[in-house]
Amino acid sequence: MDILKFKEQVFVEGEKLGFSALEVYYEKSDSFSCNIYKGEIDKYESSTVNGVSVRGFYKGKMGYAYTEKLDEESITFLLTNAKENALLIEEEGEKLFTEKATYMEKDFYSPAIEDVTTEEKISFLKEVEKKILAYDKRVVQANHVSLRDEISEKALFHHDGLALQDRNNFLYVMFSVMVKDGEEVKSGFHFKVTKDFHTLNSDELAKETVEKALGFLGGKTYPNKNYPVILKNSAAAQLLATFTSAFSADAVQKGQSRLKDKIGEQIAASCVTLVDNPFLEDGMGSGTFDSEGVPTKKHAIVENGQLKTYFHNLKTAEKDGVQSTGHGYKPSYKGTIGVSPSNFFVEKSDESYESLYSELEEGVIITDLAGLHSGANQFLVIFHLLQKVIL
Amino acid sequence: MLNKALIEEVLQAALETGGDFSEVFVEDLYSNHMSLRSGRLEQSLSGRDFGVGIRIFKGLQSVYAYTNDFSKEGLLKAARTAAEAIQTATDEKTLILPLVKEKIQTINPIKFMPNTIEKSRKLAVMKQANEIAKNYHEEISQVMIRLLDEEQNVLIANSEGKFVEDQRVRSRLAIAAVATDGNDMQSGFYGPGAHAGFEFIENLDLNHYAKEAARMAVTMLHADPAPSGKFPVIIDNEFGGVIFHEACGHGLEATSVAKNSSVFANKVGKKVASDLVTYIDDGTLANEWGSINIDDEGEKSRKNVLIENGILKGYMIDKLNGRRMNMESTGSSRRESYKFAPTSRMTNTYIAPGKSTPEEIIANTEHGIYAKYMGGGSVNTATGDYNFAVEEAYLVKNGKIDKPLRGATLIGNGATTIQHVDMVANNLGHGAGMCGASSGSLPVNVGQPTLRVSEITVGGREA
Repeated sequence: MDILKFKEQVFVEGEKLGFSALEVYYEKSDSFSCNIYKGEIDKYESSTVNGVSVRGFYKGKMGYAYTEKLDEESITFLLTNAKENALLIEEEGEKLFTEKATYMEKDFYSPAIEDVTTEEKISFLKEVEKKILAYDKRVVQANHVSLRDEISEKALFHHDGLALQDRNNFLYVMFSVMVKDGEEVKSGFHFKVTKDFHTLNSDELAKETVEKALGFLGGKTYPNKNYPVILKNSAAAQLLATFTSAFSADAVQKGQSRLKDKIGEQIAASCVTLVDNPFLEDGMGSGTFDSEGVPTKKHAIVENGQLKTYFHNLKTAEKDGVQSTGHGYKPSYKGTIGVSPSNFFVEKSDESYESLYSELEEGVIITDLAGLHSGANQFLVIFHLLQKVIL
Repeated sequence: MLNKALIEEVLQAALETGGDFSEVFVEDLYSNHMSLRSGRLEQSLSGRDFGVGIRIFKGLQSVYAYTNDFSKEGLLKAARTAAEAIQTATDEKTLILPLVKEKIQTINPIKFMPNTIEKSRKLAVMKQANEIAKNYHEEISQVMIRLLDEEQNVLIANSEGKFVEDQRVRSRLAIAAVATDGNDMQSGFYGPGAHAGFEFIENLDLNHYAKEAARMAVTMLHADPAPSGKFPVIIDNEFGGVIFHEACGHGLEATSVAKNSSVFANKVGKKVASDLVTYIDDGTLANEWGSINIDDEGEKSRKNVLIENGILKGYMIDKLNGRRMNMESTGSSRRESYKFAPTSRMTNTYIAPGKSTPEEIIANTEHGIYAKYMGGGSVNTATGDYNFAVEEAYLVKNGKIDKPLRGATLIGNGATTIQHVDMVANNLGHGAGMCGASSGSLPVNVGQPTLRVSEITVGGREA
């Protein structure tokens, strides 16, 4: 059944069952991915997946259900389960977005991704693998050489006529290499996302991947001490990702964030500005509406060290007496509405990495972090010491 | 779920470009996730996942496509798109063998199918668990209970004539408690699960599980910071097995062995562990969380001895890696859903019981760390280097448990740690967990008796 027919039928049957309001959220994605190992295709995958999530008010409470099969049987399944869930749920305050709003007109679809043939993608990966293996004699093998592209569409419909649509596509490559020096074995990992396949450079990708692994060789233990630290951009982003939930109004309201009551306060050094930008051209999280149908907007979450706002969805915004910031997201049609950023990052400054580095007399440069998910309090840090200074 | 004639057509279409093996995996899954926070049902979500995975081999090459467009055109298109990746010079075509339906032996009998039970009955169990944990101590500030159940119907058919259907039913109750004393916060967790229906949830000893989660949180609230350094470490049974799961189990999967990216590659018959270590993966334990009647290639599940008295005996092998290694499948091929090509994975993996008692192990430890409950961690499978958080730890002094410790992490290397096991107790127990790897997130059991490793680096806050 096609989605337009399916949602109409959900609205009709839902009303008969006694739902006072209903929303249908739809996602469809087509993707291709492939891995190369020793010059051969090791993994090749193509997919087409769609899913529908239904949310609706029954006796004043919100019930959810989803399906990946768009047939008559699923309409009954969705509505009876959403109803049973609504009857039991004890959480209130979830809303459907009913305001009239204007949405940014933007298409995040890049034809430069679709223009590439499968053969081109495969031969590019083979080329990078060759260059990785040839880069240094300590390279043992390229454990992982892969590419993935994806085009995704999402749509949101309300029983009273609201209909929104967005699409996005992206391509990324991922490499991991194993290097060996004597008995010491280390591995390095590199990842790059793009909207234009032709901007990828095989020499640079091979270099970045291998250099990262080589950098881990010859690590020594240095005395425990407070050192100045430079976090490379990828490591800083990993750290930001670990602490991102602290900016969620939901976490704040549940007492799970240290940023409670800190709006307007200086929470970071004045050189730190954290931005969430849903309109980033090559952002994987870009879009013009969130999963509640609220229009998205660019926000400075922290500006010059000062906390400006939390990430809000409709429910958290109402609790705090503010407007939703357009951050009501579900992880997919399978999930429920939570709070999360779109494209969240530390705004760059005018200073280069080299200038930070040259100012350092003795210190630690962190290129990668491990163990972040086993608890941010106790993460283990893989680091390089600045050898030119220490020795 | 799909008729035989259509499946035969899809299997044949997949071989049009010269593939030598094709497989179809059909999945129809119904699931419920309910979560209770501070006594209130915060989320209740029901879903139906449905899709078809098509896999083609040509020698060592494998391609995969999946779709939930289940029309004949949709399926043939998916099969042909996948087949495009196989480019062969020969005109020789593999013909599929007629599909013959296999009967499977059910080793995991189910009494109450989750979808036949009213959600209000499930909620009643959750509320009871919440009450027990909440009332354990005044310092318990929050309790979260999650109930998950699912019914996965699968059909697996391949060009070698296999045609088999199975039903996997799983239920799990996860209890998390947080204790607070105003300044500080600590948490405790217990998450029993089974390949069983609602009977498992209803018969759970909530007094044990909910209290343990709460006790862990309160105990850790009053614990001193863990010391740093190298210590003998006693790891308790059940979920303690997570270290060997991560740091050794993954290295024994053909996925890493076939590519030589495991420290255990090419070591069959060699001594890789302490004599006290026998390591087993067994998918046939009745109704255990990681058990399966058949694997996701339709092979019967079995008991695979991986390491016996320290000697490496074998690996966990799937069909594709079996081709790479020139070895037979061990019924170990698994996938999270139709969205993943299957590969060799663990089921219920455990260290076999030894002869000591847990009490003897503690009594024989002069100065060490006792890791009663393990938390999450990570491991680099290429090197076996791991780090794990200990949820509940104690200092052992002069053969006695001295005091609780918090913030301890265990840092080491799997291949080394397994050689340094110097005492193994007789109290084998299993713990349920979810394991993430290339073929998705899967229910697995990790298990072991209480055991001691002569030396592991402990990362703590006190030097």
